[in-house]
Amino acid sequence: MQTWENSGEKFNPTQTAETEKLKSELLTLNMGPQHPATHGVLRVEIKTDSEVVAHAIPHIGYLHRCMEKHSENLDYRGIIPFVDRMDYLAAMNQEHTYVMAVESMLGTEVPRRAEYIRVLILELQRIASHLMAFGTYALDLGAFSPFLYAFDEREKILRLFEELSGARLLYNYIWIGGVWNDITSAQLYRVKEFCDHFEEELKKYDTLVSQNKIFRERTRHVGIMDEQMCYAYGATGPVLRGAGVKWDLRKVAPYSLYGELDFDVPVGDGDRDAMIGDCYSRYIVRMKEMTESVKIIRQILDGIESGPVIGKVPKVIKLPKGEVYMRTECPRGELGIHLVSDGGKTPYRLKVKSPCFTHTSMLPEIAPGQLIADFVASIGSIDIVLGEVDR
Amino acid sequence: MLSMDLEKLSSDINAKVSSANAKVVKPEEDGAGDSSILIEASSIKEVAQALLDSGVNVLQVISGVDYPDYLEVNYMFAKFDLANPGQFTLKLRVPDKANPSVESITSLYPAANWQERECYDMIGVTFNNHPDHRRILCPDDWEGFPLRKDYKVQDYYRGMVVNPDEKMNWADREFAKRQEEISKAQQEKSQD
Repeated sequence: MQTWENSGEKFNPTQTAETEKLKSELLTLNMGPQHPATHGVLRVEIKTDSEVVAHAIPHIGYLHRCMEKHSENLDYRGIIPFVDRMDYLAAMNQEHTYVMAVESMLGTEVPRRAEYIRVLILELQRIASHLMAFGTYALDLGAFSPFLYAFDEREKILRLFEELSGARLLYNYIWIGGVWNDITSAQLYRVKEFCDHFEEELKKYDTLVSQNKIFRERTRHVGIMDEQMCYAYGATGPVLRGAGVKWDLRKVAPYSLYGELDFDVPVGDGDRDAMIGDCYSRYIVRMKEMTESVKIIRQILDGIESGPVIGKVPKVIKLPKGEVYMRTECPRGELGIHLVSDGGKTPYRLKVKSPCFTHTSMLPEIAPGQLIADFVASIGSIDIVLGEVDR
Repeated sequence: MLSMDLEKLSSDINAKVSSANAKVVKPEEDGAGDSSILIEASSIKEVAQALLDSGVNVLQVISGVDYPDYLEVNYMFAKFDLANPGQFTLKLRVPDKANPSVESITSLYPAANWQERECYDMIGVTFNNHPDHRRILCPDDWEGFPLRKDYKVQDYYRGMVVNPDEKMNWADREFAKRQEEISKAQQEKSQD
């Protein structure tokens, strides 16, 4: 039988004959800015035809702090805390991108131990961020307990970060030339213990959520972003990999130590009755990425070398004239920093390419024809942080 | 990182679009950073079409910069192709700062839709034939373009004071002022 499920087309109930007869005026509904399913202060203006979304127009800017303007009046070290505050769930990855942009202009050499600590921290942060995505996504779809499990594990990572940097969310830990503070062997041992424990934990999540019939029915064949759409809108990260593209900057253009490490790039392959590019694929990519991160962390723990943790950097940083566009693979996608210097102590222009901004711009494309509840699932599956969208 | 042969790329662009006048901009002698391709502002749509045909499938970001004599719009293009990945910056310069306008490329790269809106919101470049040309981060009736170098915040927005005195961090400002005075005095001392 030919149904919408196997036809490969988008499910669009507005086009069937019966609904055409019943068609009435569209109702405008404001979802947000204060709404638990929008992950912050996103407002989506939805035009609905009964339970079905006809158009969705995202309105952003409620968290706009104009970090880019602030940066023009700060010296290069002073910008790091501001970059933290863009994506407050993956602050380490954000500051790493910015610091890499400055280092590439300065030509600073980062000591080996600092690189090891950086990759260790980045992957732990990736796990913490994906755990948050996992927990809140389950919460969006009506399951409360996965959120608590996820926060329990995330807490262990945050405790470690707190010891290292003195802060739980906004670290200012990765500095130009290296990292602020050394990591002790006791802390490394705790990371190892965490890895052993966490691998068991991941199996639990798989049984609890990934194989859950209700969860799968809510997410599979919903909010499909295929490969061509991802390219057209410039989507990256788990969204692009969920569409079946094996694109990961850590593999395609290795930076830091990633070239020496052995890990896989998980992609959405449509198993468990999912469709390539649907919400379930994006979710499962995140879950598999956590396993890969644990794999990377184990290699770091085996290979870490002793030595200094910060390289030689001038006291007052003045970048040479020029500009650079640096991008790295953050948990939510590729973050890009466009840094323009006029030779002074402050940047002439700092532009941040936010992956969430790009992914939010895809919502109007996937919304038409979805049920409102499915639209909530779609928003959750792209894992947006509004601090980064609005900057 | 993922750099491409810009000389070849710019000659390819010139061969396809005669009005593009593409040339490679390199960092200065004592400078550092990436090279990029500079084209004529009026030819952006044809150039974008040529790039799209040649396999540059992703527009990542549009970044506007306000220079004293002109506004610069940077398009960061990328090739998301696992066999042959690449990335480069395409620049164009708009000398008319009072009424800057560039052709929109939203019909070719849907990613440009929001990026052009942000560029308009922050720098004030108007994009012709854009399907939804509105501000994106600031409110629709906000005045001025925040990332221009000569930007001054408006005093009132819809009758509300924008920066009320009781909400300013005066201690912070005084501290900054004092620091400035100290550094100035030190500079003068070192010059003597």
